[in-house]
Amino acid sequence: MIGMDFCRGRRIVLAVLLLAGFAAVMGRLVQLQVLQAAELSVRADRQHQKAVTVEGNRGSIYDRRGKVLAMNMEVPSVFGMPASLDNPSGVARDLARVLHVRADEIEKKLRQERSFVWIARKVDPEQGRRLERLSLDGIGTVMEGRRFYPKGPLLSHVMGFAGMDGQGLEGIERRYDPYLRGEKRQIVLQRDALGRTVFPKGLTEQGPSAGHSVTLTIDEVIQYIAEKELDDAVSASQAKGGIVIVMEPKTGAVLAMAMAPRFDPNAMRGLSADRWRNRVVTDAYEPGSTLKIFLAAAALEERAMKPNSTIYAENGKMTIAGTVIHDHEKAKWITFTQAIQRSSNVAAAKTAMVLGEDRLFRYLKAFGFGERTEIDLPGEATGLVKEPREWGRRTLASIAMGQEIGVTALQLATAVSAVANGGWLMRPYVVSDVRDGHGQVVAQVTPQVRRRPITAETAQTLNTILEGVVTAGTGSKAAVAGYRVAGKTGTAQKIDPATGAYSSALSVASFAGYVPAEDPRLTIIAIIDEPQGEAWGGTVAAPVFRRVAEQALTYLGVSSQEPMKLALAAHTGIGAGIGPEIRPEIRPEIRMVP
Amino acid sequence: MRLLAGLGIIGVLLLFVWERVDIVRVGYRVEQLKTQKIALQREQDELRVKVSALTAPDRIAKAATEKLGMLPPQSGQVVMVSAADSSPTMGERSPEVHVAKSERFWRKP
Repeated sequence: MIGMDFCRGRRIVLAVLLLAGFAAVMGRLVQLQVLQAAELSVRADRQHQKAVTVEGNRGSIYDRRGKVLAMNMEVPSVFGMPASLDNPSGVARDLARVLHVRADEIEKKLRQERSFVWIARKVDPEQGRRLERLSLDGIGTVMEGRRFYPKGPLLSHVMGFAGMDGQGLEGIERRYDPYLRGEKRQIVLQRDALGRTVFPKGLTEQGPSAGHSVTLTIDEVIQYIAEKELDDAVSASQAKGGIVIVMEPKTGAVLAMAMAPRFDPNAMRGLSADRWRNRVVTDAYEPGSTLKIFLAAAALEERAMKPNSTIYAENGKMTIAGTVIHDHEKAKWITFTQAIQRSSNVAAAKTAMVLGEDRLFRYLKAFGFGERTEIDLPGEATGLVKEPREWGRRTLASIAMGQEIGVTALQLATAVSAVANGGWLMRPYVVSDVRDGHGQVVAQVTPQVRRRPITAETAQTLNTILEGVVTAGTGSKAAVAGYRVAGKTGTAQKIDPATGAYSSALSVASFAGYVPAEDPRLTIIAIIDEPQGEAWGGTVAAPVFRRVAEQALTYLGVSSQEPMKLALAAHTGIGAGIGPEIRPEIRPEIRMVP
Repeated sequence: MRLLAGLGIIGVLLLFVWERVDIVRVGYRVEQLKTQKIALQREQDELRVKVSALTAPDRIAKAATEKLGMLPPQSGQVVMVSAADSSPTMGERSPEVHVAKSERFWRKP
């Protein structure tokens, strides 16, 4: 009996203890889940969740055939934690071997009284892998986006470059930055007790989208041809620099825009703005006799001159407002066609006088001089075309010779294209479309006509005259075997900065033309700045036109006009041979059988 | 009956716990695959940059001339022949497609 009571007593004690225990747990639960619920929930979220801002990769830039010209890649940046290092000098030596940086410079960083130091930012991925294999204590890597331009200096002035933070700073990179930039988005990650990421909050959460890709109208092969030939000409003539533009005259699409000297956008450190400025659009120059194309266009359109109109060329010398104008060739009576083909300054001045100030000014503006071409590149200049009321006594004659007027190389290319395509002034462009990550077109550029300065009839007449410049005039070195070429040479004296007067030593030699003349596929402008020695447009710039044209035409598969004749000449060595040009006078008379 | 109900409740609780554990396990696996995907993406980007650099026209031209002894064709050595007998006048639209054959002459220096 006593034993039974004892057992019952123990059960009661146990039950009371259990109840007390449960009551305590319940009380704590009520405290945590009810009374402090809101505060604890916030604290838990802070510990388990991590919000990070992620930026999508910058979009790529492609040439017209889909070749990569610029793209982003994640590369390692190397950092050190000096407090965790036992042997800074040994680590510095190991790092120096991999990173190709001086060991003493790294050691200096590693001996700083700081918890974190950058050793090298955005290094080569292979260097990152070698460092990982070394597994150095106190040294780590983080991945950062870096812009790569795999073709190096090719097209550098048009491409421009992006900054360290991935923002476009110049060229296409700047103009199309809103499209190229990756999306910035904040995403919330769940972390476990060890701080490891488990998954994004909400399994459907996506990372930020990458920037759109941009496809250019530029063809990397034609760009290479233009750059190579330009470099060769600049080097051979010991010139200061030069420009070559290749454009489709019927659309205004730019196929190549070459400049010399160039820069490597992968290594921008220490380069001044003067090196990376795209002078094709930013700088105006006095074009010289290439401007006579538009003087002739105006005179023909206004019927002020006909191709066979005769002009007294004053035996190559004429005085206007106290200034003597000279011709390269002395002549008395010449036709208007001969005046353009021989680039007579006297005849050009007389033509301008017949035309008058207002009409000449109107046609210059109609061809797009003195206004932006509206190309999709930043920093475009308007050039300088003064209003007739600002003209001096000599200005009319000066403009007829391409002086006292400032044009950009791009304006010249666009205006020459207008003559080539039958009179339509097109808006030039370098980007053909913008696509999203799925390849869908989000923006497309189509050819745009700005206006029509001359009729097709005038363009046809001028075309015949400009063909004569190459076949019988100053531009004979621009002739391309098997194709009809039309164009005009130009040799413009430069202003000597020291005297403020035209220099006899400094000049700009140029050739502006198009090919094939009967159905133009390419407008090509070649400009050589300050060539030494024989510095005529016909001798320095015209050969650049020819070499670029013959390679680009072959590359594009534009058929020759006299293929059988050329093939025979090439096989037999008669007329063409291996190397020298075909001499027109000994071409065999064989015509292609249809 | 009570036993069955108890077992049912325990079963449901175990299922709940298993589900939670499995979600975390799948979460780790997803993260692992994401990391792998990023690594592969990086490798692909690296290879694209390399291909692009290796196919640069100046590098190809240099290799062709210096290593293979090739020369660019000179004037008149390449003749583009059109299958169509087209001699369009200025302003006319050129044919959409030109079937062109080229005769290329390469000569070692």
